[in-house]
Amino acid sequence: MTDLTRRKFTVLAGASLAALSTPLFAPRALGQAKPRLVVIGGGPGGGTVARYVAKDSAGAIDVTLIEPLKTYTTCFFSNLYVAGFRDFKSITHNYDKVKKGGVKVVHEMAASIDRDKKQVVLAGGARVPYDRLVIAPGIDIKFDSVPGYSEAAAQVMPHAWKAGAQTQLLLKKLNALKDGDTIVMITPPNPYRCPPGPYERASMFAHVLKKKGHKKSKIVILDPKPAFSKQALFMEGWEKHYPGMIEWQDPKMHGGIKSVDPKTGEIKTDLASYKAALANVIPAQTAGKIARDAGLADQSGFCPIDPENMKSKMDANIFVIGDACIPGDMPKSAFSANSQAKVAAMVVRSELVKSRAFPARYSNTCWSLIETDDAVKIGGTYEPGEGKIKQASTFVSQKGEAADLHKQNYKESVDWYAGIVADIFG
Amino acid sequence: MIVWYRICRFSMVAITVMIATAAPVWDRSGAAGAPDMELGRYLATECMTCHQSGTATSSVPNIFGLTETRVTEVMKAYRDKTRPNPVMQSVASRLTDEEIAALAYYFSKSKKP
Ligand SMILES: Cc1cc2nc3c(=O)[nH]c(=O)nc-3n(C[C@H](O)[C@H](O)[C@H](O)COP(=O)(O)OP(=O)(O)OC[C@H]3O[C@@H](n4cnc5c(N)ncnc54)[C@H](O)[C@@H]3O)c2cc1C
Repeated sequence: MTDLTRRKFTVLAGASLAALSTPLFAPRALGQAKPRLVVIGGGPGGGTVARYVAKDSAGAIDVTLIEPLKTYTTCFFSNLYVAGFRDFKSITHNYDKVKKGGVKVVHEMAASIDRDKKQVVLAGGARVPYDRLVIAPGIDIKFDSVPGYSEAAAQVMPHAWKAGAQTQLLLKKLNALKDGDTIVMITPPNPYRCPPGPYERASMFAHVLKKKGHKKSKIVILDPKPAFSKQALFMEGWEKHYPGMIEWQDPKMHGGIKSVDPKTGEIKTDLASYKAALANVIPAQTAGKIARDAGLADQSGFCPIDPENMKSKMDANIFVIGDACIPGDMPKSAFSANSQAKVAAMVVRSELVKSRAFPARYSNTCWSLIETDDAVKIGGTYEPGEGKIKQASTFVSQKGEAADLHKQNYKESVDWYAGIVADIFG
Repeated sequence: MIVWYRICRFSMVAITVMIATAAPVWDRSGAAGAPDMELGRYLATECMTCHQSGTATSSVPNIFGLTETRVTEVMKAYRDKTRPNPVMQSVASRLTDEEIAALAYYFSKSKKP
């Protein structure tokens, strides 16, 4: 490649993307200097993979991250924000350090993926060619999985399962409650993002109500599942800190969720009807639209991957990581997304610049806060096995553990948060 | 024993992968000799999730710049479950001696990002 063309590319790269409808870079076959990695989605999955490839390839790979948001509010610790343990600023991060780390960040939505041409088409029409593409678009909410619920209804009955304005709305509604009011939570069916998340949220609601001195308020959880993550630990914690306040109902107890009415706040099950002063409806979930539209998802709505390398089973040039993929035994968590990103980054480098490849290894830990200084945890290590990401070891907090151990868990989770956001956003 | 088992298992994985997808062969070249910095760097990515903002006093401490002896000692103690903390015991449970040596080498030679 000549100096002239290289300069031209630099100019193009810096030009307004919206103005371009032709490829941002010439196809590699025509003399592209560096191999190109394009990443869709700047959350725990996408942010991590972009930063690691840029850092470890030391400029040998051209890394572009496509993410419409200028700031990203983490779902993890958003329950702690609702409870007043964190402020909104502390869970909101920008991409300045990602850019400083050598990643080109394009703040635009990816509209589609042209898999034949190996190009991502942006919402404004520009095309971004790739040699390898990593997609980490997270989840989409299946609004119609709860009868009566819709995107519009979420303005009255927030799901707050994507952090940001929804989480702020949830807090506003929580703060407006009076003693004697009822919170109704509808929790999602498997698989969904953050298995213990809804139950940590119920705990944080209870923390707020207790702190405000509510004596009669209730939290009713209508669950489509017969059991949930860390159930025994949550129930022990609820009994200890909030006796009688949280009522969890499995499908046998409520008989099925029949309807929600955003106008009246009425929620009907097969066996009862509730008037919710605050309804937190968390519907079923599916992989982000871009992944489904590109034909990377199967009938489950999520994307099958090769556990050895996080590659899509549908396209060997595309990796799917984070909540959008089918992660085998791993839960859908920020920790998992970050862990999968590191495997993908290692494989991308080995394919594009022939760096060494190592066997894939994954890990996860999820901490959940039940009350001030009382946190429990679950986690494990994972490796490829039996055609999936298979659990290799596991651990979970035990019932009846000493209070100082749970306080230590909380401290650990605070340090984890600081670590992981630095790992994702620099 | 464990080491041999793991090396055998990795080779089997590598062969399967080569046949199935022509993906890169897993490189274990550093495993038998001096500590393997590249392997250490890869394995250390798992540690970065929690440890990169650690200070000497935080519950998830800084581990950059520790001596090889210290990292090796601590990781083996977690692997043997003589040091408490299920998260670290779980992380250490799958590490071979060579992998612990690679990690220890990497952290002793690396500065906090
Ligand atoms: C209440 C709650 C608590 C949680 N607590 C924890 C916890 O304690 N620990 C933990 O590990 N996990 C936790 N999680 C789960 C965690 O938030 C998710 O698993 C994680 O965010 C998944 O990361 P991701 O990168 O796959 O997707 P996301 O974080 O959803 O990021 C996807 C990004 O892609 C972008 N995007 C989507 N489509 C496009 C497109 N077409 N073009 C460009 N960009 C696009 C989005 O704007 C978004 O920024 C929690 C979740 C919730 C809801």
